[in-house]
Amino acid sequence: MLTGSLRSFAQKRYTLSGVIKDEVTGETLIGATVRIKELPQSGSSTNNYGFYSLSAPEGKYTLLFTYVGYETISRTVSLNQNQSINVSILAKGNLQEVVITANKANSDQVKSPQMGLEKLNMAQINNVPVIMGEKDILKTISLMPGIKASSEGNTGFYVRGGGSDQNLILLDEATVYNASHLFGFFSTFNSDAIKDVSIYKGGMPAQYGGRLSSVLDIKMNEGNSKDFTVQGGIGLIASRLKVEGPIVKDKGSFMVSARRTYVDAFLKLSSDTAIKNSSLYFYDINVKANYHFNDKNAIYISGYFGKDVLGLKNIFGTNWGNATGTIRFNHLFSNRLFSNTSLIYSNYNYTIQNFQNDQGFKAVSKITDLNLKQDFQYSLNDNHLVKFGVNVLHHTISPGSINSDGSSSYNNVKTELRYGFENAAYISDEWKVSDKLSVLYGVRLNGMFLTGPGTFKSYDLKGEVLSSSTYKSNQLVKSYFNLEPRLSASYQLNEQSSVKASYNRNTQNVHLLSNSTSSTPTDLYVISSKNIKPEIADQVSAGYFRNFKDNAFEFSAEVYYKALQNQIDYKDGAQLIVNQDVEAELTYGSGRAYGIELFLKKKYGRFNGWVGYTLSKTERKFDAINGGKYFSARQDRTHDLSLVGIYTLNKRWTFSGTFVYATGNAVTYPTGKYNIGGLTTYSYSARNSYRQPATHRLDLGATLEGKENKKFSSSWTFSIYNVYSRRDPFSITFRDSKTDPTKTEAVQTSIFATPIPSVTWNFKF
Amino acid sequence: MIVTVLLISIVMLNSCTKVVDIKVGNDTDKLVIEGMVIDTAGSQSVKLTTNVPFSNSNTYPPVTGAIVSVNDGNGSTYNYIEGPSGIYTSPAFVAKAGNNYTMHVLVNGTDYTASSRMPELVVLDSLSSKVSPFDSKQREVTVYYKDPAGKANYYRFVMFLNGVQVKAVFVFNDDFNDGKKVSIDLSDDDTDMFSGDKVTVEMQCIDKSIFTYWNTLMQQGGSGPGGGVTPSNPPTNISPSVLGYFSAHTSQKKSMVLK
Repeated sequence: MLTGSLRSFAQKRYTLSGVIKDEVTGETLIGATVRIKELPQSGSSTNNYGFYSLSAPEGKYTLLFTYVGYETISRTVSLNQNQSINVSILAKGNLQEVVITANKANSDQVKSPQMGLEKLNMAQINNVPVIMGEKDILKTISLMPGIKASSEGNTGFYVRGGGSDQNLILLDEATVYNASHLFGFFSTFNSDAIKDVSIYKGGMPAQYGGRLSSVLDIKMNEGNSKDFTVQGGIGLIASRLKVEGPIVKDKGSFMVSARRTYVDAFLKLSSDTAIKNSSLYFYDINVKANYHFNDKNAIYISGYFGKDVLGLKNIFGTNWGNATGTIRFNHLFSNRLFSNTSLIYSNYNYTIQNFQNDQGFKAVSKITDLNLKQDFQYSLNDNHLVKFGVNVLHHTISPGSINSDGSSSYNNVKTELRYGFENAAYISDEWKVSDKLSVLYGVRLNGMFLTGPGTFKSYDLKGEVLSSSTYKSNQLVKSYFNLEPRLSASYQLNEQSSVKASYNRNTQNVHLLSNSTSSTPTDLYVISSKNIKPEIADQVSAGYFRNFKDNAFEFSAEVYYKALQNQIDYKDGAQLIVNQDVEAELTYGSGRAYGIELFLKKKYGRFNGWVGYTLSKTERKFDAINGGKYFSARQDRTHDLSLVGIYTLNKRWTFSGTFVYATGNAVTYPTGKYNIGGLTTYSYSARNSYRQPATHRLDLGATLEGKENKKFSSSWTFSIYNVYSRRDPFSITFRDSKTDPTKTEAVQTSIFATPIPSVTWNFKF
Repeated sequence: MIVTVLLISIVMLNSCTKVVDIKVGNDTDKLVIEGMVIDTAGSQSVKLTTNVPFSNSNTYPPVTGAIVSVNDGNGSTYNYIEGPSGIYTSPAFVAKAGNNYTMHVLVNGTDYTASSRMPELVVLDSLSSKVSPFDSKQREVTVYYKDPAGKANYYRFVMFLNGVQVKAVFVFNDDFNDGKKVSIDLSDDDTDMFSGDKVTVEMQCIDKSIFTYWNTLMQQGGSGPGGGVTPSNPPTNISPSVLGYFSAHTSQKKSMVLK
């Protein structure tokens, strides 16, 4: 150590920095690595904007630039002053990828101190078969260990025992509140427009905050800065189109990507009046543009707009959707200090309308965020990468209002808007302590400020009003401060393997109230208040990471334990929609989750894919529920297994398959029955003490690439969902027997009872 | 509600239901109390039964030998007389609006008590029928009443189709229609109603705790995606806690033949 420090002081050091891009499209590459061949321990990787910074003593070096799925390129450099080197690297062709083995693959997963991180390759997402042929990020991530789909056909997901509202879902830094279309059958993310997907299950870096369980960080494509291209797809239920190209060649580009479903066109063909008169569709649009003024300054503008529409002619209609917008400004203060300033807008809203004369009304609810963020990244020296920043996030929540006209039997009902600031400051340092030990440590300070105007009540356990006070505009009603330590360390055992450990605390001030397990548009958001305290999660995890066969195989085993405080549930019979006193309907408790996750991935070769297995337990405890004893949360699944295989037969054909198996949901079944009010009614004992039958399913897919042509390329994607007609239980309900009314029976509903084939035609020119 | 109905009909294009054999535990022989005082003469009753295993037939053993009484809050106590099937009755009184009634049930040495305030009567104006928006062959029933302004009102409707009770809970409050002329459609996914059917609707004005009781059951009745809310025993107004409730409510009935 001492000699090392002496040497570094003795010799003058210079900094290399720059941007790594794709040679064909000009897209910046996230997580590409730069290494100095002569200094094996040196290295740096690009940030979210493709920027890297690296320092070394004066000398002649060979630089190696690598990125998964790309050719490695080398550059020789005489380092005698600070230098900026921008490079473009070439994606490997399909066939080459098959032939070239992984000897140049990086071993980041072994070396990085980060743990609990899953990164998804867009090429893999495109090959994994999904329902109706609509490739889907959220469905694909639920095939990772520790991440579970909330229910079949649903894009909601649970991470390490957290609820589906405890995931921070970011699209170009903007929070996406409801990430599902059509009640969760599809996600709001059009994978054509997506460049990079990372999900943090644990060890969250300090720059992220606001949710307990996970961070799903999704970044949009920037658009081709070299050539204009058009690509699209025509599927059974939806079509997509993307246009991208340079604004000023090599300086700026744009991307517009849109899709729309046309299920409603098929509904019109139905003979059933109800189906014929119903509307049911969604559309979404992703837009992004960027301009690089020079090497030091760049601006990015991106937006998302999506809407779901569902209705029955002249009877009722409902629509809901997200809108986000992000403006970002990159500035390089020096080749070591990178700055990004973001202004972010996010909105989620829903409307329910009844068009019948005497019952007409329109109910509206929304949440709007404005967020100003300043992030810095400072490469202190080769051993320290420091990140720090602040953000000011303002929430406006409209819990709901009802509008009606005179002839309606409904009144106009208005609930007060709620306002709050969530402000945070963070600092973290990625420290290479020695050749073997790396530490990523940091802290995040979070301040939540609930402000007026409005009347704020506090309630006792029974929901009776204890006190009520009125506040003026911008007057502070309640504040909470939370310090969130984050620590993650890796110790390298040898070139191929390492052990890692992490601890992190996360807090959450925006809470979802939903009395349904599926993602419904009427989900209601509330912020921490006099009654609702910030949710807190503490997670410790440890893991063993090993690569085999020149990094072609990755294996990891992680164990975790998570303790949750201030969890929220609602009382029996709670009314959540348009209820000013909704906080009176809530009850508070705690939770715990623990488990082990095993993951084996083959990254390269003709055949690649992964196996993920999770053994876990997730419990909750509320004074008012289950006699105050721990009970299995609905998302508790003892065993969860996913198999994903992708096989490239030749230049034209790629086959893929996924198999999933999971323990059934923890559910509450009756332990008796009685008659009340003339109805057979069921009595219950312990909550969630029964299990639905296990679920399992096989899906297959195939892609046929069209004949190669420089100007135009096309492909066909075929898939079969639920190949062997597994009837997984979606719900099990109880009723008086239809055949013998003196008896009762249990009825299982399965939503996908038959194999569902689909075909999509994709094109690009 | 209506959203769920449409969603279900769309999902059902590819879904299926089947009767399955589920192994459930038994936590039975528990007391069930259903006590009612209403504004109709000769109808005051308290029914005492016990719950039975899920696999049994729908007959419930009566609880005999209990001592049942109701106090009207104005100094009068009415002792109930045990009849068949665990039904205890009192012919002696008609419940009046504004009175706070207290029930006492003494069974096996435990005194179960509950109170319920009799709400003011809100008149059931009329019934009508219309074509179901979901199926032109089927009918829906609409009830009409004028909600009194300026106070919280709670309603329960019990519907009979050709003399048989429809197996669904219908309860409503006036959060969104206080003081309005109200029309509400009564329909149940599992009940098909056609032109020519005879429908009788009973309207009850109930108190808040009884609304919460029925509303809990109504929310659990949803069989939509995810299977509705996690079921539990609805919160009773009887203490010590027991299955069932005690309700003082108004009762009016109207009948019609569906057009």
